[in-house]
Amino acid sequence: MTQVHITGVGMTRFGKHPDSDATDLGAAALLEAIADAGIDARLIESAYVGHVFQGMVMGQRILAQVGLAGLPLVNVENACSSGATAIREASLAIRAGENDVVVAVGTEHLTSQFAGALTPDPSDPEAAIGATMPGIYAMRATRYMADHGMTREQLALIPVKNKANAAQNPLAHFRKAITVEDVLESRAVADPLRLHDCSPVTDGAAAVIMMSDRAAAKYANGRGVKLAASSLRSGSVDVEPTSMTYEPLTWATALDAYEKAGIGPEDVDFAEVHDCFSIAEVLRVEGLGLFEQGSYPRAVERGEANIDGRLPVNPSGGLIGKGHPLGGTGVAQVVELVRQLRGEAGDRQIEGANIGLAHCRGGKAVGIEGAACTVQIVTR
Amino acid sequence: MTTSVMGASFRPGELEVRSDGTGNLMGSRCRACGASFFPVREACAGCLSQDLETIPFSTEGVLYTYSIVRQSTPAFEVPYALGYVDFPEGVRIMGQISGIDFEDIRIGMPMELSLEPFGEDDEGHPLTGYRFRPSEVTK
Ligand SMILES: [Zn+2]
Repeated sequence: MTQVHITGVGMTRFGKHPDSDATDLGAAALLEAIADAGIDARLIESAYVGHVFQGMVMGQRILAQVGLAGLPLVNVENACSSGATAIREASLAIRAGENDVVVAVGTEHLTSQFAGALTPDPSDPEAAIGATMPGIYAMRATRYMADHGMTREQLALIPVKNKANAAQNPLAHFRKAITVEDVLESRAVADPLRLHDCSPVTDGAAAVIMMSDRAAAKYANGRGVKLAASSLRSGSVDVEPTSMTYEPLTWATALDAYEKAGIGPEDVDFAEVHDCFSIAEVLRVEGLGLFEQGSYPRAVERGEANIDGRLPVNPSGGLIGKGHPLGGTGVAQVVELVRQLRGEAGDRQIEGANIGLAHCRGGKAVGIEGAACTVQIVTR
Repeated sequence: MTTSVMGASFRPGELEVRSDGTGNLMGSRCRACGASFFPVREACAGCLSQDLETIPFSTEGVLYTYSIVRQSTPAFEVPYALGYVDFPEGVRIMGQISGIDFEDIRIGMPMELSLEPFGEDDEGHPLTGYRFRPSEVTK
């Protein structure tokens, strides 16, 4: 079976884009990825486009914008994992031998869709009684603090780290470093979480071009990195209540990815994880097996997750610093892995990294642990 | 259990409200393996049996975790307390918390189901929903 090579990446600035829409953003990211790959756009054989709130046939609108009509095209909705799921489906088209050159795009113009707290779908019983996504993660934070003795100040170090990284990322939504005091003094959203603990409402898009061995040998110019694994799981139904401070869904997805890539968590050099909230980063990295359960807050305190630390987490700034345009997020994570592995990450470059991991996890429905989870492993 | 209104249930599939003022959260129990689920399911996630019965859950449980929500959608007036309560049937159900000052809420508190006014229907008739409140000390 062929390997999957990522040979071109593109990403818009993440932030507020009042003068453009999700089509413009997706098209800009796609054109940049094509230029980065240095290929004739006519080589692209199929397209997968992830978004959540952008309406029917988003992907067709983007491809029409750049003159690419007629391709097999799939629009993908999988909550915050939509873009990452698009990458997974695109990579399967290559592994199956169906296509040699495919593109995955993720886009979202979120500022035109809503403001404030995201909620589960209104039909959901939990949404009907007032569940919000910040509220759900806040409850997990309350329990984690009780179970593992994490302090509010330790939790604040995560947005401090991620916004410091974002300050080094020219494409990030936030470009200003903050302090623990800034976090603790920001507006309360859902106790114990405050505004700086939350990812912002962001517009943005990203795109990656993937190739088979055969196409990469012809067109990759030696700049390709490998998508060693792209795994997807959906949440299982709770048969009995389990700890909300651990993520079996994240672990099941990671295990599949580790097996496919032939590595273990100890081999991962750096990670982009789904820090939709500060507490989420804790739950993700422990669920991925990158840090032991209950240990991450103190590891962050020791600087282990910094860009120059033992295992950098969210060097791009993460969702909290770089921003979280739902469909764009999972693709942008992979763009960051590729740029880090190519040595093109500028002031936030991690030295000597060979294996990067990206994790997305999104959505909520009553009675299941999480909705959609993806883990991608990219290697040099 | 505490009751204060008699409007129709805000979500009859999940909350049964009876004319005598009592009510229960409703779910499924698998006749094959005994696992319980909220809300009602068509098949058991434990053993895939479709032999499920709809059951009322106990009205007493234990608070697993909570948060005070200070920003929400326009449908809900903030702040309000939100919590997960573990019931003896083996289900964990989310609800708002009432009948206690925010600062006194603690993980592990015994809680009971409370039927309370919960908005109104399209024609303006009051609806009954549920919250969880600390159990009356009766033991
Ligand atoms: Zn069963």
